[in-house]
Amino acid sequence: MELSVKGIVRRFGQVVALGGVDLDVAEGEFLTILGPSGSGKTTLLKTVAGFEIPDEGRVLLGGEDVTLAPPRRRDVGMVFQNYALFPHMSVAQNVAFPLEMRRRPREEIARRVAEALRLVELEGYGERLPRQLSGGQQQRVALARAIVFGPRLLLLDEPFGALDRKLREALQLEVRRLQRRLRLTTLFITHDQEEALIMSDRIAVMDKGRIEQVGPPGDLYARPATRFVADFLGESNLLDGAARNRSASIPGFGAVPLPAGQPDGPVTLLLRPEALRVAADAAAMPCRGQGRVVETVFLGQSAKLRLALDGGGEVLARLSLRPSDPPPAREGETVAIGFAPEDLHVVPRG
Amino acid sequence: MTILTNRRGLLQAAGGIAAAGLPLPAFAQGAAPPKPDRIVVNASGGGMATNLRRAYFVEFERLHGIRVVDTSPVDFGKLRAMVASGNPEWTVTEIGGQDAERAKELNLLEPIDTSIVDLSRYPAVGRHSHVFVGSAYSTALGYRSDVFRDGSHPKGWAEFWDVRRFPGARSLRNHPVDNLEFALLADGVPMDQIYPIDMDRAFRKLDQIRPHIAVWWTTGAQPAQMLVDREVVLATGWNGRFFELSRRNAPVGTEFAQGSLKSSAWGIPRGTRNAYWGQQLLQVMTNPRLQAMYATELSYAGLHPDTASFVAEDIRPLLPTAPANLERQFWLNVGWWTENGARAQERWNRWMLQRG
Amino acid sequence: MSSPGDSRRTIARRRETALFLLAVPALLLLGIIFAWPVLRLLAMSVEDGTLANFEKATLDELYLYVLFDSVKIAAMVMAICLVVAYPVAFWLSRAGRWGVALGMFALLLPFWTSVLVRTYAWLVLLGRNGVVNRWLRDAGLIEAPLPLLHNTSGVLIGMVHVLLPYMVFPIYASLLRIDPDLSRAAEGLGAPAWRSFLRVTFPLSLPGVSAGCALVFVLSLGFFITPALLGGGRVIMVSMLIEQQVREFLDWPFAAALSTVLLVATLAIYALIGRITRGARHA
Repeated sequence: MELSVKGIVRRFGQVVALGGVDLDVAEGEFLTILGPSGSGKTTLLKTVAGFEIPDEGRVLLGGEDVTLAPPRRRDVGMVFQNYALFPHMSVAQNVAFPLEMRRRPREEIARRVAEALRLVELEGYGERLPRQLSGGQQQRVALARAIVFGPRLLLLDEPFGALDRKLREALQLEVRRLQRRLRLTTLFITHDQEEALIMSDRIAVMDKGRIEQVGPPGDLYARPATRFVADFLGESNLLDGAARNRSASIPGFGAVPLPAGQPDGPVTLLLRPEALRVAADAAAMPCRGQGRVVETVFLGQSAKLRLALDGGGEVLARLSLRPSDPPPAREGETVAIGFAPEDLHVVPRG
Repeated sequence: MTILTNRRGLLQAAGGIAAAGLPLPAFAQGAAPPKPDRIVVNASGGGMATNLRRAYFVEFERLHGIRVVDTSPVDFGKLRAMVASGNPEWTVTEIGGQDAERAKELNLLEPIDTSIVDLSRYPAVGRHSHVFVGSAYSTALGYRSDVFRDGSHPKGWAEFWDVRRFPGARSLRNHPVDNLEFALLADGVPMDQIYPIDMDRAFRKLDQIRPHIAVWWTTGAQPAQMLVDREVVLATGWNGRFFELSRRNAPVGTEFAQGSLKSSAWGIPRGTRNAYWGQQLLQVMTNPRLQAMYATELSYAGLHPDTASFVAEDIRPLLPTAPANLERQFWLNVGWWTENGARAQERWNRWMLQRG
Repeated sequence: MSSPGDSRRTIARRRETALFLLAVPALLLLGIIFAWPVLRLLAMSVEDGTLANFEKATLDELYLYVLFDSVKIAAMVMAICLVVAYPVAFWLSRAGRWGVALGMFALLLPFWTSVLVRTYAWLVLLGRNGVVNRWLRDAGLIEAPLPLLHNTSGVLIGMVHVLLPYMVFPIYASLLRIDPDLSRAAEGLGAPAWRSFLRVTFPLSLPGVSAGCALVFVLSLGFFITPALLGGGRVIMVSMLIEQQVREFLDWPFAAALSTVLLVATLAIYALIGRITRGARHA
């Protein structure tokens, strides 16, 4: 493991910011820590970077214990939320900074700065000051500065937060490509689940100072281990019912079959909105119910419907659309709703 | 000066308009003008203000029922600006010794009305057309009486200059006034032949004493404080400051030999509204009994010949105006300084800047 | 004929005018209390229709010497203030709430006493038989008292004491404005604390350093009570000569000429300080 975090605890007075965090990041892996604000993800990042010393636990980098080492001895490149570019230094001076601190020869510095600027497509911008660049360009300078010295680990602290959507999407892919090409072990922090799904090899979802679940994006999306993960990652319908004899009765849909080995008792079922079918499409589905359309939202390639079930409660359905398709249902209309039982996921810790 | 004269012009015009519609003020016909509720008297602050109030202001307030508000400090520039503005805030002001003559020349003062201020028994040195002499004070020599015991201190400036017989750090004022006179006296010039001052000779003599001057003082409090702190053992200073130390039993004595006498001058700024009551205040200040009260506190004695007889016997030798002290001192020639002050000061500045 | 576009532009212009009107009282006040007296000063100095006063103020050895000396003292006060104030400001910018409260209290305490009283306090502390010399002698560190007073060192000590807050506060303010992530970034990129300070924090605090230096320098040039009392007569500042001319000799035209020369010298040095710190920032 390139980075190992073992049993990290950090308290601020009465508040427990990190309550025993374990995490491993493999060499060349892109791991995202996803969580709402206040979940402890920034404190974890600072602990890895060396700006925080944990009350308990250890941080290992390439097998070496760096828990108490100052930031400058960790060889970690970090991109800050607001980039933290040195405003009084030119782009080239910013990028050269970590190399100068490592007392590299002048020619090597010049060569590697040029190389890093080429990597982030900012050749010819070396003489500018940070304030003369756009937000996206500043972001790339920060990235170049963080990788130019060949760090063991790259830390990205919500680096796309300040950018507009289009630029953000372009940069997300660019950073991902760069990371793959250079095989940079990367720890990425965000509260944006979509961004996490796009970029990560694995995602660790954090809540209240603990890691809820770690896994590849697909796994987390399809098989969330907790109600929090199910709710936080993507849109979800969480249906509470009672399991008995490999089937569960759900208000509005009646009895639905459950996978083998499911013990009897209360159960939480996750049904993603895109698994639902409505109106005519619902007819072929094994599990069916009925509901009234409360709201429809047109999203271009899809539409979102909020439906009030006859048996009480609401579900969200996402229907994919082709340009020629007619609107799937009108508000106020009562329609059939259906899904396939294999699209149901039992949330283990509901 | 245009801004000032403009303002005065405006005020005069306004006054003229107001006067046109009114009958002549009563005092023009011989009676006392109406009483204001207060007059403003400007003087040096500190202990002096307290004692002026105790000796004179209280009596004035009792006699006339007009409150006296005192302000400080004495500032000649401000006096000039006030008179130029046409509406001086001060009813009566103290004037620094050397400035009295100039104040009169520049027409900044009302004449003293001798029908109110009775100067008939005053000596000639105390009778002036525009200036009232409140008291006399002296620049004298202060010394540590524990260093120079039993009268072994320097008497006169030749001995002050004699650093072998009277060793120790000294302090003189950072100003040419007095010091040029003292230098000439140290060089053997008789007291009655000081003026006109031979500046070359005076500065040559000052060259000799310069290395032994630890401090050139600026404010009156400094020499007294430095004697108390033993920063220096000999210092010139206003006699009142040393008097205060003697009264507090500090080991500091005063030597009047060849001291430089000056009178503290008072005047009524020209154009001030309550000039009549200013004259009345000056009249109160001629009272020898009150002058004695004031002198007992500060040693600055008024010039009324009866004053000394009201002062306690043990204090009399500490007054610069006591007959025995008076004859050993000289009166500073204010006229010479008015004429040559700027030139002397510039030369003094240059001399101070020569290092060494 | 007015098109709708015209009236919109009129409305926009009117709004700008309204905003400008808000600044008018301040501008008037500045004009009255600052620009006008300066102009009067200039006019007064050439009242006699010749440049004689300026000739004397700029060519006479005495006044040149004093001006040079004043500038030298002001520069020394500025330099000492900078060296003393920077660490204090740096500590304040990193201190907790109680540290800041304590620091502010200690810095502002002297402001509640008059300059005169503070200056006299130094007389008591620094004299030949003063507290400092007595301690040093009792501790066996010196045999003869150190000449701390009535010379240039006394003036410097007294002036630095009075002016220190004027240096601390601008530097403190500029340090607070620096994003704390910048020094974190520097350390994360491999800089030891001192190099992070020299390369990042210090250059970014230069606007505060520049403001503090200018403030202290300009205020130093105007001092006369402190140098008169603590200098023992050996230190002459231009302001003392100006005061002499105004109060004792009533030679206001010459005082005006001296003041104008001082003003010009001050502005020139002020510009120089600005240029040096701007240059240093991007070096």
